[in-house]
Amino acid sequence: MKENPKPHSIKKNSKPRSIKKNPKPRTLLNKRAIEPYIWLLPSIIMMGVLILVPIITVFQTSFSKISKAGVNKGFAKLDNYLWIFKQPAFRRTLMNTIVWTVVVVGVSTILGIILGLVLNEKFHGRKIVRAIVVFPWATALIIQSVIWKYIINADYGALNTLLLKLGIIKSNVNWTATPQMFFAWECFVGILVTVPFVTFCVLSGLQSIDASLYEAAEVDGASFWNKLFRVTLPLLMPSLTVSTVLNIIYVFNSFPIVWTISKGDPADMTHTLVTYLYKLSFTNQRVGEAAAVSVIGFMILAVCASIYMFMTLRAEKED
Amino acid sequence: MKKFLASLLVSAMALTLAACGGNPSSPSNGSNPSSGSGTTGGGDKTTINVIISQYGNYTQEWWTQFEKDFEAANDTVDLNIEIVSWNDIYSVVSTRIQSKQQPDILNISGFADYVADDLLMQATEYTSEEVQKKIIPSFWESNAIDGTVWALPILASCRSLFCNMDLLNEAGVTAPPTTWDEVLTACQAVKDKHGDAIVPWGLDISNDEGQAAFSYYSWNFGGGFVDGNGDWALNSDANVQAVEYIKKLIDSGYCNSAPYTDTRYPLQDAFSAGTLAMMIGPMNMVAADSTVNYQSVNIPGNGVGLGVCDQLMVFKNDAAPDQAARTEAIKAFFDFFYDCERYSDYMVFEGFLPATLDSSDNLAANAEKYKVGGSDATGNSEYFKTFCAQLPDCQFYPMQKAEWMDVRNGVIEVEQQVCQGQISAKDALDNLQANIAG
Repeated sequence: MKENPKPHSIKKNSKPRSIKKNPKPRTLLNKRAIEPYIWLLPSIIMMGVLILVPIITVFQTSFSKISKAGVNKGFAKLDNYLWIFKQPAFRRTLMNTIVWTVVVVGVSTILGIILGLVLNEKFHGRKIVRAIVVFPWATALIIQSVIWKYIINADYGALNTLLLKLGIIKSNVNWTATPQMFFAWECFVGILVTVPFVTFCVLSGLQSIDASLYEAAEVDGASFWNKLFRVTLPLLMPSLTVSTVLNIIYVFNSFPIVWTISKGDPADMTHTLVTYLYKLSFTNQRVGEAAAVSVIGFMILAVCASIYMFMTLRAEKED
Repeated sequence: MKKFLASLLVSAMALTLAACGGNPSSPSNGSNPSSGSGTTGGGDKTTINVIISQYGNYTQEWWTQFEKDFEAANDTVDLNIEIVSWNDIYSVVSTRIQSKQQPDILNISGFADYVADDLLMQATEYTSEEVQKKIIPSFWESNAIDGTVWALPILASCRSLFCNMDLLNEAGVTAPPTTWDEVLTACQAVKDKHGDAIVPWGLDISNDEGQAAFSYYSWNFGGGFVDGNGDWALNSDANVQAVEYIKKLIDSGYCNSAPYTDTRYPLQDAFSAGTLAMMIGPMNMVAADSTVNYQSVNIPGNGVGLGVCDQLMVFKNDAAPDQAARTEAIKAFFDFFYDCERYSDYMVFEGFLPATLDSSDNLAANAEKYKVGGSDATGNSEYFKTFCAQLPDCQFYPMQKAEWMDVRNGVIEVEQQVCQGQISAKDALDNLQANIAG
């Protein structure tokens, strides 16, 4: 229950500012102007230490010659970047990263919309199904990746054992015979863990759509598809924009799935930028070159983040 | 009140930042194992920071006791031992070096990169003559660059061929293969007899230890990493043959299905469980509770085994206030560690082979005196006798060469590219040789 304000406080607050006695009005004004910044200062310092300093350090490292032992040997000009661009593995990795991001985000968005629409309908056991959908999202990526690595193993994996017992296959199938098959499995796991996030974004979007819009569409004789494409999807766009842009950033930066399942092998054919720079830094001990890859990834993501900011600000303006 | 809270928060932040931003190169009081090294700590004690690689689940337990015993015997030294897993140790050490907080003593595999950056002390500066005499001469020399020894061997292991004799006998193979052709025949026999249920040949050409596979096959086809003069000879005919042979094993369907990502650990588990017929691995690879009837024999071909020898090395520390005291403390550390009883105990505890002469003799006769880490089991003298005898026939990675890490990664890439059919073995090895040797 809300308490009534005390009479004397009303009196105090109701005084016009101009007649309030104040021996140093400008100083007080200055203090009041500064106060919000003092409150913000801890956050600003934290952000500076935890975000800006690492970013600056990575940029510095990408222009430094770092020995394999870790000693900084000074300014390397653009050598690290030039070395990176000469590597066939880097070009392949860049292409993989684009495929990985587009496939995982694209397919999980489509599946998420379908699942969201299904889960928005009323049916028996809907709560249980919703809980099941959350499972892949709630489980640590590393655990899911390890489990899937063992499931698809041809020699002792659960998938072959199950298919053999069901009589679907007669001998073990090598599910990871080629780099492309490896990468396809990684995309599959990526989609599996991304779908729940999209589903719940779609669900929240669907629940904010006014039911009278559907009633009006039905009165006008709209079919299921008409309602879907002319009412539901246009009104879901803000939710989908947020989920897609955030997913692009998350998926682009995702490390555990690819590293756990293939470590970028065979022959560096299944890397994404993040696993490639990790291998460069921690396996090949090429810290400067790894920092250069990191900067390139940062730049790509900065563009994505800018698009997101632009869209968010525009949406706020329209509201 | 608001103002008070704001000033409190700002002061707290400033203090936190001041605490975080301490000068990394300033001397520490030695209370933190990861902080500045070789310093004089509380009282007149000399602090020595040590990083040890984690060889097993009980490594920490052994070294904790070592630290206590050492400090009891050397009351002027404050010893700080930190155990770091193999997964992290290179990045941990690299980060410490970047922030000028390298340990005094480091246990790792490979030292040439540290020598190249002039970070290490020469081994003769901190080892007593007694310790130098104890170390098996081939191990002492394997840590030398241009005649200068930069590290000491901490332990050794050797790799040989392990055969599940029950599976081979059932397939009509009566003895372990001794030539590469016999390997193919035995694999085919196992495949014909057992089908998908048994993997005939375990192969790991992953990023984890693909260089070991290259060693097994290249050395036993008559090739290797370097020629007689110690120069890189990666594209020799024998090496080409060896890589083509690896491809043949995969293409014939004799190997585990994911040799590009399978490390030796799941393969060892499969061998111990009796679902893998043959593989090359370390002498302690079969699980203690395995009931597999196996034989360990020389690798087919030339019978050359891979010897693995990790090192202990000492970093320079120009900031140490008393260099003489620091060197004396380090010397005391090595005298204490290589003591025959203590070192023999560590070898049995971790299941590795000793790199000293007196411990080799001791364990070949008295291994039962010492306990295996984490169990009540004791050492087996026969085991040490057999494998210590194999050590002289083993060859080691050329880790004393500065390009070793690039070669290591290069041969793994060659194996994977060739076995994927992306490039011929000859072209891949020619490219690698050109990249490394110029």
